[in-house]
Amino acid sequence: MLFNSLDFAVFLPIVFLLYWFVFNKTKTQQNLLVVVSSYLFYSWWDWRFLFLIFFSTIVDYLVGLALSKEKKEKKRKNLLLISIFVNIGFLGFFKYFNFFLDSFIESFSFFGVEFQGSPLNIILPVGISFYTFQSLSYTIDVYRNKLEPTKDFISFTAFVSFFPQLVAGPIERATNLLPQFYKKRHFDYDKAVGGVHLIIWGLFKKIVIADSCAAYVNEIFSNYETMNSISLLLGGIYFSFQMYGDFSGYSDIAIGTSRLFGIDLKKNFNYPFFSQNIAEFWRKWHISLTSWLTEYVFTPLSIYFRDYGKLGLSIAIVINFTICGVWHGANWTYIVFGFLHGLLFIPLIIRNSSFKEYNISEQKKIPSLKEILNITITFTLVMLSLIIFRANNITEAVNYLKILFSFNFDGGFQLLLIRRYTPELIILIFSFVGLEWYSREKEHPFFGRWNNLKLITILMCLLLFGAFANSTEFIYFQF
Amino acid sequence: MKKFISYIISITAILVLMMFILDIIYTQIYSRSNPRNTFQYILKTKDIKYDIVFLGSSRVASHLDIKLFESLSNKNAMNFGVNGISLNDNLLQLKLLIDNNISISEIFLQIDAEFNYEDASIVMTTEAMPFLKNKIVKFHFKKYNEDFNYLYYLPFYRYLIYDPKIGFREAFFSFFNKNPKIDPKIGFVPKYGSDLSIPRVLPLTVSERNIILEEIIRICKKNDIELTLYLSPFCSKVENKEYLESLKNKIPSLLDLSEGYDDELFYNCGHLNLQGAQLFTENLYHATLNNELK
Repeated sequence: MLFNSLDFAVFLPIVFLLYWFVFNKTKTQQNLLVVVSSYLFYSWWDWRFLFLIFFSTIVDYLVGLALSKEKKEKKRKNLLLISIFVNIGFLGFFKYFNFFLDSFIESFSFFGVEFQGSPLNIILPVGISFYTFQSLSYTIDVYRNKLEPTKDFISFTAFVSFFPQLVAGPIERATNLLPQFYKKRHFDYDKAVGGVHLIIWGLFKKIVIADSCAAYVNEIFSNYETMNSISLLLGGIYFSFQMYGDFSGYSDIAIGTSRLFGIDLKKNFNYPFFSQNIAEFWRKWHISLTSWLTEYVFTPLSIYFRDYGKLGLSIAIVINFTICGVWHGANWTYIVFGFLHGLLFIPLIIRNSSFKEYNISEQKKIPSLKEILNITITFTLVMLSLIIFRANNITEAVNYLKILFSFNFDGGFQLLLIRRYTPELIILIFSFVGLEWYSREKEHPFFGRWNNLKLITILMCLLLFGAFANSTEFIYFQF
Repeated sequence: MKKFISYIISITAILVLMMFILDIIYTQIYSRSNPRNTFQYILKTKDIKYDIVFLGSSRVASHLDIKLFESLSNKNAMNFGVNGISLNDNLLQLKLLIDNNISISEIFLQIDAEFNYEDASIVMTTEAMPFLKNKIVKFHFKKYNEDFNYLYYLPFYRYLIYDPKIGFREAFFSFFNKNPKIDPKIGFVPKYGSDLSIPRVLPLTVSERNIILEEIIRICKKNDIELTLYLSPFCSKVENKEYLESLKNKIPSLLDLSEGYDDELFYNCGHLNLQGAQLFTENLYHATLNNELK
């Protein structure tokens, strides 16, 4: 069930009304409804994979309970390993089995050794990367004694399967989300209205920005060999905005929907395209994944390599971001994407500026020239790396970049075989950037005196400029 | 909660109101503007007499040089061929022409692989959407489009779903009466050059029947319109050419005009270039009207 589908438009009000008017007596009733509706929501794609979520839930719940009783470090570690093995095992099998098999066969054949093996016909369960990481955060935090294990199975199941963020995040930490299921939720008008505003803003980003860009991106990336440098540059820019509009739009809808049920999720994007270096970009892009990796991967690695100073820190960050790339999927393009971002951190580590905050003051109507330069450089680096991310394979990515850097501008803006036009999209993107700049200190543009008028304007823009004809799935569903 | 529900109701009401108003605005714009496509041109053409009308897809639009044909035949003719349309769309065109009191003596309908399809094309469906309230269009889509109720009763839904061609951009240009790139009044879309690298594949088998074609034949009979079904040429590299033989067996009256064209006369495997189109126009004239005149 897509957030931008008619199914969801029917599903959400029904669950909302049941939640606040029928199952509203106790927190158990509320949580039970969350579980049932979440499982129904997930089964819309494929009910068979409910088994995986349920199995992960049971294993992590039992491991959590066992960890609370177990005092011996070795046994505690073994219990944690069971949780990691089950979660990463499922993830590894469904997401990476064929990739590792193919890579294994290719690397052997490179050395002249033929190895027989045929890939399995595996369907990737939607959202597996998200809910396994979320569930895993619980057992790790319990193991580290940062969180009391729960005895409330229904609350825990609701935490793992909460439908607004089940299939594409934000990846919530048990320390933030789980305690919210321990208490009965009371309706809060301001929170719910804020949620509606976020949903509308998320839909705008998805349907107007991301889906408009998607038509161009698909056309350019499918025909990149016949296109000139300017078209390929635009292809990269459009894809950057498609990714941002798509994923941050999804996150806004997820956060907004959660608020309708009295649940607060953490922010997942914070205007990343105004970042002034790569470190700042990753503090503002897919925040829930970055912070998860920082806590559970980067921090232990940097402690492990601490004796090597900046070199150790660089190694830790490159490994961390390579894992970030691997998390996205079983393709070398994702791995190279992550690895490159890790490398881009190294100059910042050398200059001790990776943790520097660059917030541009709210009072400033326009950024300084230096800020514009930094923003442009950071965006360009991100855009180039996203070209690799979008390509079907490394060869295609390299060829695309080769043509892009051949500086062939013959033909100017090339006509695409779609009924959409370059100047309109550029105007749309510039307007969107302006709107984002204006509201960069808030969650969405609906604030201040003309709040309602802004809301109506965005609704009007949705109708006038939304790409409903080629509405697409959210990109991160495939991860 | 009451306050929140009223808030949601007001947002929904505003949205529905906006959809309702936008639907009226867009529909009015398309109804009042100069025709920017063949469908609009047909809708706005009334009380004219055509001796000959050509119907079909791009293999009509790009193959019939209507000025040349008129000069050869000395008859008033029109090419209503449209890129990407189907027999179902030709049926709708025919119904509209008759409803608009356009007198037609003879129709030339080009048929090939379209015989296997009975659905409306996305091209014509999109072009027809602003005129869904027109009784002919309404009944046609009610019969042949399963989403008719959504399209007809949900305000602005049709403009959302078909936005690439009838969305904001097209409404904006229509409002300012911007001339289209292809003028529907000219009725001939010549193609230039030659590139046969992309293969054209015909279906393997011919459908048992085509109820749309049967309805076209019925309507023509009822309105005393002479109907000629004909077949345009393909390049030598067309795949599954046997399909054309089977089609000729299926429709014995099908006039085969597909032979005698060298590959250099083709823009691509299914379409003649300007030179090829002019030759084809002459050949069609000689094969049909010239014989009669003599």
